[in-house]
Amino acid sequence: MSPASVFIVEDELIEAEDLRQTLEKLGYIVTGIARSGESALESLNTTRPDIVLMDIHLTGRMDGIDTATRVRILHKIPIIFLTAYADETTLERAKVSEPYGYILKPFDERELHSAIEMGLYKHRVEEQARENERTIRVLANAIPDAVMLLDHSRQILALNNAMEYRLGRILRGSGAGPEHFLDHYGISESILSRLEESLQHGRTLHVVEKTGTDWFEISLNPIPGSSPDRPLVLVQYHDISDYKRLEEQLKTEGITQIAQNMEQFQILNDQIRNPLQAIMGYVSLDCARYRENIMKQIGIIDDLVSRLDHGWVESEKVRKFLLRHYRDNRDDDPGTSPPAGQRGEHR
Amino acid sequence: MYTVLVVDDDPAIREIFTAFLQRGGFTPVAVSGGRECLDLLKTLTPDIILLDLMMEPMDGWETLRAIRHHPAAGQVPVMIVTGKQPVPEDILQYGDMIEDFIGKPVEFEKLVACLTPTLEKIRDLHRMTAQKRESGTDTALIEEYTRLLRLVRITQNMSRRYRNIPWAERIALKEQEERLASLHTLLGFTDTPGDRGDRR
Repeated sequence: MSPASVFIVEDELIEAEDLRQTLEKLGYIVTGIARSGESALESLNTTRPDIVLMDIHLTGRMDGIDTATRVRILHKIPIIFLTAYADETTLERAKVSEPYGYILKPFDERELHSAIEMGLYKHRVEEQARENERTIRVLANAIPDAVMLLDHSRQILALNNAMEYRLGRILRGSGAGPEHFLDHYGISESILSRLEESLQHGRTLHVVEKTGTDWFEISLNPIPGSSPDRPLVLVQYHDISDYKRLEEQLKTEGITQIAQNMEQFQILNDQIRNPLQAIMGYVSLDCARYRENIMKQIGIIDDLVSRLDHGWVESEKVRKFLLRHYRDNRDDDPGTSPPAGQRGEHR
Repeated sequence: MYTVLVVDDDPAIREIFTAFLQRGGFTPVAVSGGRECLDLLKTLTPDIILLDLMMEPMDGWETLRAIRHHPAAGQVPVMIVTGKQPVPEDILQYGDMIEDFIGKPVEFEKLVACLTPTLEKIRDLHRMTAQKRESGTDTALIEEYTRLLRLVRITQNMSRRYRNIPWAERIALKEQEERLASLHTLLGFTDTPGDRGDRR
């Protein structure tokens, strides 16, 4: 690993030079020294050190704490404060600027070294955590479903963009924050009680809800929290409108198809009875004489029966419809069965 | 000699009907559809029409309605002979306009054998109603009696032949029979027109 680079902000020239030598002796690269907050900010626009050592007491308009706050916001570079003394107020201010370390003057080499290493390590860990969060956020937002994580008191811990948009639509004009919506807005009583059920029994539940013309399957997935009595629940809105519309279409088409088939069967039955009638007549008249006619009528029946067989094969839509709506156990037919939460809705 | 008009789109059926009717001593005439039937009725008034139902382009029921509005043949008795499964809706709608509903396949001998008693019943009824007409009885009442008699008889026949369908219930046979009985008394009829049991 290449040596870490350090930037020094110190208005005392001798102290700054002393610090530079110590740092170089410890193996760090000093990328620059600034004597005021203003010049530090200017330099940091062009150079990017791994860490900044900042004296709290600086001459000029900005002191070290002001400067540190700006550096943190603008450049996200970790900062270690150096100071000879500090009163309570200064310390409080220093805390708010979220430093990575704090060294009291005078300090020795070892103290400086460990403070820098700790600061760098802490920064790396935080960067990693931020990176992880970014990754999770990218993943969460890549899901078209609206997703949020609630704690046991139904407060929102995290949510993706789709959920933010969804809640935004529900809450627009209501003036309330998203954390209130479960108690007051948009969600029916039944979901609230199911939410309680999911939290209490640790069961995954599914609720189907219609909002305007849209249908949603809402999944409530309990997740272990920091302690057993504080479980979390993952709420997921899955848009099933297309599925519902398709189902509706299939239902209508299926019924039309059945009506058509019934009609066709009636016609075919009538057509089958005609040759039977003819055969009965020929047989009564003279079997031997009308043999050819009888065979011809039997041929007609055979042809009609084949058409009936064919009709069954053709009526795939009807078959699907019947399977879907009239078969008792649909679990082994994933092609036509609805999402898990909807089972039982159609019976 | 009775003239029987056969309306059926199946040439084999027409051929065999013709043969059996001739054997039974009738004068058969056969046509292949509703249009042809109505055309023929302009020049010929048969004693009875045997009518198929499922025909194109004009089906049997449509043909029946047209026959009933026909200026010359409006009163000609019609018997349905079809492969279509009978349903109460059909009988409710048309039962009072037809003499019977025969499901194919039927033995030709039996069908032909039942024609003469059916025609005699019709002739009996005509004679009875004609007397009442002459003696000034309301023709609407006579008309209602005739229609009701057809409906009741056909419902009874269907109940015997197709036991899996609740004909009496669907057509309210009991009420119809009661109404028929009261009309019978009202019109002063003493006997039932030529009732000689099942024709099948």
